Amino acid sequence: MKSMLAIALFACAIAASSAAMQCNQTPLDMPMQWKDMQESCVDKVKQQIGEELKASMQYLAMGAHFSDYQINRPGFAKMFFESASEERDHAIKLISYLLMRGELRQDVSNLIKKKYTPAATTWASGMEALKDALALEASVTKKIRDVVKVCEDDERFNDYHLVDYLTGEFLEEQYKGQREIAGRISTLGKMMSKHSALGEFLYDKKLLS
Amino acid sequence: MKVFVALSVLCVAIATAQAEYNQYCYQSVAKACVSTSKSEGKIDCSARYGGIDGVLSDLQKYVNTHITRSYEFLLMSTHYANYEKNRAGFEKLLRGYSDEKWNNAIELIKYISKRGGRMDFNKVKLFNKTEDYNVVYEMNEIETLAMALDIEKDMAHDANKIHSEASHKNNDHYDPEVLQYIEEEFAERQAESIRTLAGHTTDLKKLLSGPDSSLALYLFDEMLQK
Ligand SMILES: [Fe+2]
Repeated sequence: MKSMLAIALFACAIAASSAAMQCNQTPLDMPMQWKDMQESCVDKVKQQIGEELKASMQYLAMGAHFSDYQINRPGFAKMFFESASEERDHAIKLISYLLMRGELRQDVSNLIKKKYTPAATTWASGMEALKDALALEASVTKKIRDVVKVCEDDERFNDYHLVDYLTGEFLEEQYKGQREIAGRISTLGKMMSKHSALGEFLYDKKLLS
Repeated sequence: MKVFVALSVLCVAIATAQAEYNQYCYQSVAKACVSTSKSEGKIDCSARYGGIDGVLSDLQKYVNTHITRSYEFLLMSTHYANYEKNRAGFEKLLRGYSDEKWNNAIELIKYISKRGGRMDFNKVKLFNKTEDYNVVYEMNEIETLAMALDIEKDMAHDANKIHSEASHKNNDHYDPEVLQYIEEEFAERQAESIRTLAGHTTDLKKLLSGPDSSLALYLFDEMLQK
């Protein structure tokens, strides 16, 4: 009788422990030699993802500022909103790259913060914002170069592919983008030399088209 | 005839004076035009009208919520794109939500500006549940769908709150244009995504209760890819 009870209890325990739904799968074994990125390099790329998102928030704040009716520069606003989304795309491109190399299998939740607060939210003029944007891009360029350095200087493993990707895609875009902003600063500056309000007004309309 | 004209002009003048709208802009401009000093020449021509002041703070919070949620969905999507999870359908679904939240954040900032407000990135919604801040985004498939559904409902609730603030006809915050905007840009689409996600969880609940949840998830993910 006693043993019957024990068996019944045991059966109940099994029934209770096996859930109605099977939600999780057990991970599979596979060779891991293909995962060859070095930790220091991965950390640097992760850091860069944060930098891109920070830049995106800064551009978002610029877009917001120039949308204000008291500023009313829709051309500048449009340009900066587009830059904000481009920076977000850069962050996503870096995430995709890490995934392609077998990274980010765990600890994804710590990858990005929930909130990046823009460093500045007002600008005295369109010119000031463009100068800030150029300085921001220059600092991002420098940070990408730092990633390259860490990922290629590792004596155990020179990450040729990532370095090629960063130079070919990211640095390429940085240098082209910087040249574009520098050109805009020059053109706007010349348009504003005699009548700055008119110069900025006209340039803003040009940015809209 | 002359008397008639004079009379009608007088009537218009009286009607205008009785109308509730102010003339701060006109008066300040007129004053500035004759003023000799620049400091006196300040004009007061705001884009604000209606009930925007009553909802501005909630709209600003709503922008910041959108940005935070877009990051959360991006993390959830990233989890499904790792080589082990390898669920392209879930990745695509969640990435879609992330993109949508991000784009809505930008549109909301534009909308705030349209109504004479200014975005404030420091205005954040206080979540009453502390776990909202400590969520781990590496979940299994059905948990992810459940989380996505909860987030969508939470965001719909925020939109409803803004809508209700602007709906009270008897107070100063009545603003039909805000109502129209919330209905058009949020309400309908939120109803759709909430229904879709609820349907997905129904399907997965049934599929995961069967003999082979592993294969079922594979097929469900294939479906999501389309
Ligand atoms: Fe970038």
